[in-house]
Amino acid sequence: MTQHLPILSIITLFIGAFIVALIKEKNEILRNTIVLIATFLSFIFTVMMYKPIISEGNILTYWMGNWEPIKDWAIGIGLEVDQLSLFFGLFISLSIVLSALYSFRYIERETGKDKYYVLFLMMSASVMGFIFTGDLFNMYVMIEIMTFASVALTAFRNDRPEAVEAGFKYIAIGSIGSSLILLATVIIYAQFHTLNLAQLAGELYNNYTVTTIFALALMIAGYAVKVFAVPTHFVAPDAYMVAPSSISMLFSGIVNKAAVYGILRIIYVVYQSMNLPSMQFLLIFWGTVTMFIGVTMALAQHDFKRLLAFHSISQIGYVITGIGLTTALGITGGLYHALNHTLFKGLLFLCAGAVFYATGTTDLDKLGGLAKRMPQTALIFLIGAFSISGIPPFNGFVSKWIIYQASYEAGYAPVTIIALIVSVMTLASFIKVAQSAFFGQLPKEFKNVEEVPLSMRIPMWIMAILCILGGIIPSTVTKYLITPAADAVMNSAKYVEVMMGREFASKFYNNLGNAPIIDYKLAGYWQPIAWLILFGILLLAFTLVAVLGGFNPKKFSYADVEDAKYDVFYSGESAEFSHVGGSDLFWGLKYQFRHYFDFMHKIHSGLVNDYALSVVLTAAVILLYVFTFVR
Amino acid sequence: MSNKNIKVKDYIIKSAADFFTPIGLVLGLYIILHGHLSPGGGFQGGVIVASAVVLIYLGYGFEVSTKTFKPNVLKKSEAIGALMYTFFALLGIFYAANFCRNVFFNVGNPGDLFSSGTIFLMNAAVGYKVLTGVGFLILLMFGLLANKEE
Repeated sequence: MTQHLPILSIITLFIGAFIVALIKEKNEILRNTIVLIATFLSFIFTVMMYKPIISEGNILTYWMGNWEPIKDWAIGIGLEVDQLSLFFGLFISLSIVLSALYSFRYIERETGKDKYYVLFLMMSASVMGFIFTGDLFNMYVMIEIMTFASVALTAFRNDRPEAVEAGFKYIAIGSIGSSLILLATVIIYAQFHTLNLAQLAGELYNNYTVTTIFALALMIAGYAVKVFAVPTHFVAPDAYMVAPSSISMLFSGIVNKAAVYGILRIIYVVYQSMNLPSMQFLLIFWGTVTMFIGVTMALAQHDFKRLLAFHSISQIGYVITGIGLTTALGITGGLYHALNHTLFKGLLFLCAGAVFYATGTTDLDKLGGLAKRMPQTALIFLIGAFSISGIPPFNGFVSKWIIYQASYEAGYAPVTIIALIVSVMTLASFIKVAQSAFFGQLPKEFKNVEEVPLSMRIPMWIMAILCILGGIIPSTVTKYLITPAADAVMNSAKYVEVMMGREFASKFYNNLGNAPIIDYKLAGYWQPIAWLILFGILLLAFTLVAVLGGFNPKKFSYADVEDAKYDVFYSGESAEFSHVGGSDLFWGLKYQFRHYFDFMHKIHSGLVNDYALSVVLTAAVILLYVFTFVR
Repeated sequence: MSNKNIKVKDYIIKSAADFFTPIGLVLGLYIILHGHLSPGGGFQGGVIVASAVVLIYLGYGFEVSTKTFKPNVLKKSEAIGALMYTFFALLGIFYAANFCRNVFFNVGNPGDLFSSGTIFLMNAAVGYKVLTGVGFLILLMFGLLANKEE
């Protein structure tokens, strides 16, 4: 039974999708039951793999149709689940279950629900297949199913023109990404005549020829499109905004994470190129740029879900930076942040969905005061907001702190500073959301808004509790989940050894069996006082600079801005209800950095041609970089 | 077909469609069924069978092709084909081997049509899924074309 678990956890979702396709659209109870059973079974099968893989440290391999490798040639398709795959599989299958549970009530008023669930299950199944496969071409097939299901789900509310537009943008950009991955796969297959990841890892070990470097560059560019790293991120906000919230949660929680897994698998295990300083620098630089641009764009948004989408990009920047550091601490931080990001961003998207379900809009300028009507949603939102902003004792604090520590220890102090600033800006933008959606005045049209139903609150509460748990018992979480996964990332020899046999692996790896022990010292993590002192010093320095710079609150003048809201406020009836709109809370910052925001605004033109061009340029730049520096 | 209710646009195309549809169907089904013996297989044969939809459309127009091939039935049949495939693939697990394992492979003489165990059935399931799926896709595209003409 144990050896069948990987295929069962994938195939139950696929079978569920096919059965749902047969059910009539109006038969809701049967359909919901099948969706719940399929997702839950898949989750159970994934959890059952915990004992053999993480507790006992084995790696499960599975050859489809018993096509085992003969004479070191892997001809058949193999599944291989190591600790890294299982780590991703665990939280991905959990979020699939929660999203399914949430969907039942959330999309009850929509039409075409049968198609929704078919696509939902197809997307989930393809992500599980992507995580558990040990075959390069399977990875491509799965990411293709994933992309097309995502595109269709983006355009699910096709009565809204922006949904169709976002779907079109997604299919154009996503197909370019898939094509890059396919081209790389073809090149590798033409060169080595095998598609098995373990065999390729052996073949590619320290084997940098022009062909392999070309394939590597294409792979990185292709997966960067899927992960929405910065110059390729333009389509993400559009897609996340218009997709149903249960799907936006899966986009940021599982589709993005699958691409992160792809990057990890390709550059750590298949190419093993992360010992090169140039590759480390590429990922760290890229991650830092991604996190910074994502968060600054989020500050300027006035739509709840669009803002969350930009935060999603920004948080993925942390993950990429973490895994780019290549130290044990860095990978631990990156993986921990990937887990936490799935939890808190899923939570926030579900909150946005709850707000949409109750009020019919996610525009922050129209919302306000919902905490009175939806107290539980507001509380859950605050938990999610504190988690993403990295406030102790929530889980975001732990993973961000590990990333700060790791980047500082690795000698990338500027990255640490940028990561801190990004975290502060994250908090700022969530204060904005909290202020304009949940606090302040309740607009008259939302007087009769009610709390969302219980079946929507249950998934939100589960994720909220997991967010708190991840912050309270970080050492337990790292010990039982993160460290085994980080260990698997760092010891790729084991992956090859289990799949292809010891004899094959020993041809390429000299140090078989003696895994380097993870250097797990979270120095300073348990000293929040040091953190507080740093905060005090920064505050003092800021005050000092402000006073020396001639800061005088009385002398504020906004002469060159023509807007009533900058006028002097006296009193009067018309100003009795003066709700500060979501986009206006940080107008000072936005005014000071208007040139930057104008530039960013111009870049996000909304034209799919520009976006495609930026993807192609990114691929070109990576090609140049990799050819110049990777040896 | 000598139904007088059907308006025919062009007799040459109609005759050609009448002539080629059976050939396409037989060839496609042959390729599906002999997937384990000769080059080709479920996918290739399925696409050839689905070309019958194109021929009917060319000869008789959109309305007749939707009447002949009901889109809803095709859609459901695709799911049935996929389920059949997973069922035959799961047989491998039930017979104490791996997923997709060919079981009952020592039935019949090598080279016969029924000689290869479940791989034959899996192939047929793939063929069924592809012929219905591609047929449905073609109908969908013709539907878009037909709407434009109005």
